[in-house]
Amino acid sequence: MTVDLEESRAPFGLFNTHALRPGRLPALARTSPWRYVVQRVLAAIPVLFGVAVLTFSLLHLVPGDPARTLLGIHAPQSAVSALRRQLGLDEPLWRQFWHYLDDLVHGNLGTSIYYDAPTSSLILSRLPVTASLVGVATLFSLVITLPLAVLAAARQNKPADHAVRFLSLLGLGMPSFWFGIILLLLFAVSLHVFPVGGWGTTVLEHLRSLVLPGLTAAIGICPVLIRSLRVGMLDLIDADFVAACRAKGLRNSYVLVGHVARNAMIPTLSLLGVNIAFLIGETVVIEQVFNLNGLGLLMLSSIDNRDFPVVQGIAVIYALGVVAINIITDLLTAWLDPRVRLG
Amino acid sequence: MQRHGPRNEAPRQPPPLSRRQFLRNGLAGAGALSVAQFAARPLVGPRSLTGRLLESAARAAITRGGTLTFGRTTGPTQFDPANSIVGGDVYTLDKIFEPLYITNPAGKLIPWLATGHTVSSDRLTWTFQLRNGVKFSDGKPVTPDDVMFSILRTAHDKTGPLSFLDTAIKDISAKGSSAVVFQLSEPWAPFLSDASCFCNSILPANFGGESPASFFAHPVGTGPFLLQSFVKGAGATLLRNPHYWQGGKPYLDKIVFSYIPSDSSRLLQLKSGEIDVMSTVAPADVASLRSDPSLAVKLFPSWALDLLFFNEKVPQFKDRNVRRAIAHAINVHALTRATTFGTAQPGRSFFPPSLQYHANVPTLQYNVRAAKASLAKSAYHKGFSTELLISTGNQTWAEAAQIIQQDLKAIKIDVSIKSLDNASYTAAFSAFNYQMMINTATNDISDPDEMASFQVDVQRGGSHSFWTDYNDPKAISLVREAEHTFSSAKRATLYREIQAIVAQDAPYVPLYYSPNIYAWSRKVHGFAVNPGGAYRLEDVWLG
Repeated sequence: MTVDLEESRAPFGLFNTHALRPGRLPALARTSPWRYVVQRVLAAIPVLFGVAVLTFSLLHLVPGDPARTLLGIHAPQSAVSALRRQLGLDEPLWRQFWHYLDDLVHGNLGTSIYYDAPTSSLILSRLPVTASLVGVATLFSLVITLPLAVLAAARQNKPADHAVRFLSLLGLGMPSFWFGIILLLLFAVSLHVFPVGGWGTTVLEHLRSLVLPGLTAAIGICPVLIRSLRVGMLDLIDADFVAACRAKGLRNSYVLVGHVARNAMIPTLSLLGVNIAFLIGETVVIEQVFNLNGLGLLMLSSIDNRDFPVVQGIAVIYALGVVAINIITDLLTAWLDPRVRLG
Repeated sequence: MQRHGPRNEAPRQPPPLSRRQFLRNGLAGAGALSVAQFAARPLVGPRSLTGRLLESAARAAITRGGTLTFGRTTGPTQFDPANSIVGGDVYTLDKIFEPLYITNPAGKLIPWLATGHTVSSDRLTWTFQLRNGVKFSDGKPVTPDDVMFSILRTAHDKTGPLSFLDTAIKDISAKGSSAVVFQLSEPWAPFLSDASCFCNSILPANFGGESPASFFAHPVGTGPFLLQSFVKGAGATLLRNPHYWQGGKPYLDKIVFSYIPSDSSRLLQLKSGEIDVMSTVAPADVASLRSDPSLAVKLFPSWALDLLFFNEKVPQFKDRNVRRAIAHAINVHALTRATTFGTAQPGRSFFPPSLQYHANVPTLQYNVRAAKASLAKSAYHKGFSTELLISTGNQTWAEAAQIIQQDLKAIKIDVSIKSLDNASYTAAFSAFNYQMMINTATNDISDPDEMASFQVDVQRGGSHSFWTDYNDPKAISLVREAEHTFSSAKRATLYREIQAIVAQDAPYVPLYYSPNIYAWSRKVHGFAVNPGGAYRLEDVWLG
């Protein structure tokens, strides 16, 4: 059952979040979702270009020779120079950058120096792990946030509310790698409920090995989401339409979840979108702790090895991912809230 | 050498098996290991009755079959012996390919695909007798052509990381159907050791008709295991080679190498039984592993050591008195105790104790008064400021650097510590862009010439004396003489003198000899690591 919100007095806070979201310009007419997506995708191209340029420059400005890393310190300088020639690393920087852009435009992410394999195949082999981790973490964060925020808002200023706020503050302060290891020690080493690390071979094993890392990642972003949803709900709890629902005789729990939370979720969803971008960064640490062979681990070791094509490739993929998530979040918000205008 | 991967997974050095360790590890543990060494001896050659009896007793107890899961810090990216240097590659391909001689866990060269060799009187012609009955995993016998192809390929590889070991080879030819003749360009004493390097492993001639890429995707070697599958830079699965030339071996059916770069994750997986063996145990974790009755941990002697190096292009360190002062001022015993949790031995000579021709030469002892006296003889008696370069990710170095900083305050040398990531750190020191640094010296082969010339021969060693620019003509001439001396006794004297000169000149200060520390579940038997860091797995069984 949907509520016709046009008839209610919408609180100030609810619109404010929309207006303040970066990149949003007021528009007179409603844009179709498809046109909106095309607009956003086109706008993303300069972003990706910027990421490519920045990553290339930073990587090449920092000292470190991938050829020397590949050959070790006992190899004579002649071998290192020969390998640099072979890899095209002795060409002038502008020419290397030109090759890189040329390849990128044609969808070619180059060949990994360290693995001697196409960068795209390396990324594709690791992408499912990171993508699943982000997906599971998002799911867990929703599952944790909703009940806790509803509880806190319903029992405002009572012990339950304080407990939720205290726990979320605790979660904010805890370093994820420490919490991850604690979870491992408890559930994996002592209780043997989940594996200590690794990815497993069957889909069931994959899911089992994602529980603890997903939980660790979710704990990192839940505090912010809980606070946002709780505040959003508290704003709406005093609204006229809620009183009307209660007067109609609907149960309080249904009103809270079905009406208040549902409406308050919208700004929290956009916050979730932004936090997923942070989550992608967190996966670098979490993959290390839980030994998941994903993009994060690959990125770390490639930076260490100065494997330029792989670092550049993953940076572009991450940027693509963040842009895609932002577009999806905006579309979702527009779909959920008819008052939101795209474009 | 960054043998163990770019993360500077430096092998750690252990003391020789002391009586207390022998008793602590348990008679059974030590016994199984020494029996394994007997079992590792090839089938021909003189063996004592006791040896043979022990071997058959050991064989009687062995259980065949099973899968060994091995957690390591790097995963294989490729299997070309001529182009590998990273631990993940080397310690996987050495289960598939084998050389003419190998180095056993005691650090000795033993005949492997060859049964023996003879050297001409002018030391230029070396003839190796090939072992009968050795076949590649595709059933084809090993011929002199295969040996020629493999070793010349490595020798002529311009980008081979260890191809410099084959510089002395002028030509290789077949002699009959079972012998190979090497013509050297000079009487090269380290040659047998060079030939035993994994980079000189034997492949089928011309890759058996395949292209190199296709061959290395499904490598065919003489080794105890075959490659079933691998994920680049991650895990690998090896299967038993049923045609292995050592009858009855390997005992294992399968080996699964898993890639676990995180130290804590690897340790937890071993403790929870998800892996059977783990490599590179952190020194801090040794005590907790020892207290676990289901696990065994061992400190294997290694040819690696960590030293403090001085850049002699910096005026202060060009002065011998300054370097000697610093050597006297650092309490190496205390530093080793504090940073390695009792797993390493304090540094003395720059040759590790497990390396051939190591000598207990007098070294500059911890003595602050002698340090001040030495500094007073230099132009820098008022002290000076300097910078100590280390690489990040190495906790032991970070602590050692702080201790050195503290120790040098006593002689008014103000040290600031600079920590760079591994690639930047390597770029810095190889461009002489440092003042002092902590680094790891290793030897890839059993002959000390590699380490001696790398660290002393500023012109020909390939590294300007490990990027110190240390130049002592007497020491250099001794190193070069030892390369052409064949008498063991004479070589021992030469290397003793070299170590003595280096100890007094102090171009670097040996800090500690770190062992290769491995831990495994007690159901694993026969596991041993040689001082180069390599472990043969055909003697391992699960029971």
